[in-house]
Amino acid sequence: MIRFENVGLRYGAGQEVLRDVSFHLLPGSFHFLAGASGAGKTTLLRLLFLSIKPSRGLAYMFGKNVTRASPSQRAELRSRIGIVFQDFRLLDHMTTWENVALPLRVHGKKQSEYAEDVTELLKWVGLGERMNAYPPVLSGGEKQRAAIARAVIGKPELLLADEPTGNVDPQMARRLLRLFIELNRLGTSVIIATHDYQLMNQIKTPQLLLEDGQLHVHNPK
Amino acid sequence: MSTTLNDISRSSQSEGQLPVLPPEAPRPRFAPGKTPIVPPGSVTGRSLTMVIVIMAFMACLTWGMVYMINKRAATWRMEMASEITALVGGNPTSKEIENQAEWNATVARQARQVEEFLNSQKGILKAELMSLKETAHFAEAWMGQISDVEKWPFPRLITIKIDQSSPPDFATLREALAANFPSATLDDHRVWQKQLRRVTGSLAFGGIVLILLVAAATVGIIGSAARSAMASNRDIVEVLNFVGADERFIARQFEMHFLKLGVKAGVVGALAAGSVFFFLPILADFMSNAATRTELHRLVGDVRLDWLGYSSLLLVVVAIAAICLITSRFGVRNILNMQNP
Repeated sequence: MIRFENVGLRYGAGQEVLRDVSFHLLPGSFHFLAGASGAGKTTLLRLLFLSIKPSRGLAYMFGKNVTRASPSQRAELRSRIGIVFQDFRLLDHMTTWENVALPLRVHGKKQSEYAEDVTELLKWVGLGERMNAYPPVLSGGEKQRAAIARAVIGKPELLLADEPTGNVDPQMARRLLRLFIELNRLGTSVIIATHDYQLMNQIKTPQLLLEDGQLHVHNPK
Repeated sequence: MSTTLNDISRSSQSEGQLPVLPPEAPRPRFAPGKTPIVPPGSVTGRSLTMVIVIMAFMACLTWGMVYMINKRAATWRMEMASEITALVGGNPTSKEIENQAEWNATVARQARQVEEFLNSQKGILKAELMSLKETAHFAEAWMGQISDVEKWPFPRLITIKIDQSSPPDFATLREALAANFPSATLDDHRVWQKQLRRVTGSLAFGGIVLILLVAAATVGIIGSAARSAMASNRDIVEVLNFVGADERFIARQFEMHFLKLGVKAGVVGALAAGSVFFFLPILADFMSNAATRTELHRLVGDVRLDWLGYSSLLLVVVAIAAICLITSRFGVRNILNMQNP
């Protein structure tokens, strides 16, 4: 599903942030992406989310060479990916319910088709009472849960999450991890970038470790 | 993936690992999903609306004036084309002027003969000799008021109404008139018509240029507004990109606001211009005396817009809305293309 071969990335004329990154992720896989601050986790997620193009190497996603994809092809590929940002990126002028429903609205689905799903998902992530609230009045944890709900509402084939449990209590972190696992069981590939070793230790799954711009795969026993 | 998210939450809850939710969480209080993705206020502010309203007003005003000029010119041309004149005794010699009474009688006799001759020609509905008084009144514009008109060596005018469905051959008629009555000449107003066409054509051209300038300014303003709208809504555009929206969808979120702006500004501008066309003649009538009103009416006719003229202002509304829509579409797509090469 995702194949990177000797991918390198540099911003402008600076030195390479990622060097010779090679990996192959199969459909339905579950990975943690770990590394020290500045190791390039967010950059790798941005590459995976087609927000930037690699400076060199080959990058295939869903069988498509992303370096040659047109803007409309990239939009089509992005619609198969869900992403949770560290800074949430919720739209302040829309209610929590509308923020979560946004991916479905963008893809032209009728509200009657998804209204129940959105409401149920919001209840499930503990935002049932906050559906009509606007993001500026939500707490950090609530924003995080709304952002996660938005990322998974479209049942993406690949879910990318950048520190998804950074702003929630351990109980909610476990609950959110449970959601990611359930999604993974239903066929969604999941990559979670995190510093939270407690979270990583909860399940035995391959870890992609970024060190000094290079990627190593670690399989915990 | 046929399983729904409800199934995920239910299956997860059934494992007993998740906190139990209240049985019925409240539904949204209002119809959700109706909030515009891009807030209208961040795209089309009050000052931009005001500028576009002024542009629409100017375009409607110019369009209405061009319409009126063309309509008036067409009426003049039709009046001129339906009526020509014959002049009898137009070039008296100094000897003839000395014997003015005899000359006047001769010219009157000849004029009646010409009138009779013209009435017998094909394509002429009616030829009618104007009285001396009428001729003098007609000449007042050049010579001022003339008393004792009989004492002046006045040429005589014959007005000729043309059958416009089968008009006469003017060249043949002119030749026949010259052969039978050397002192008579035919004026088919061709020179006047040509000059009138030139003047009204120039005015209409000027009006069209003005409308084009307004359109160009509107394109520039909307293009710039689209750029600043994109800049101020950069976060929203990014999120839309992240949730997989294509360029067309993103551009549509902006262009719909610009279309609404164009329609709103166009309608307000057209109403304002329509009010000017409606009230200005009433105000002019109110502020001028009867003689001025009559003279003005004789000179330029009725300056009110007819219903077709008022309706044609809708075309300007459509044009302004189309400019707003198309310019913003290209503007937003250009920016998106630059952001996502």
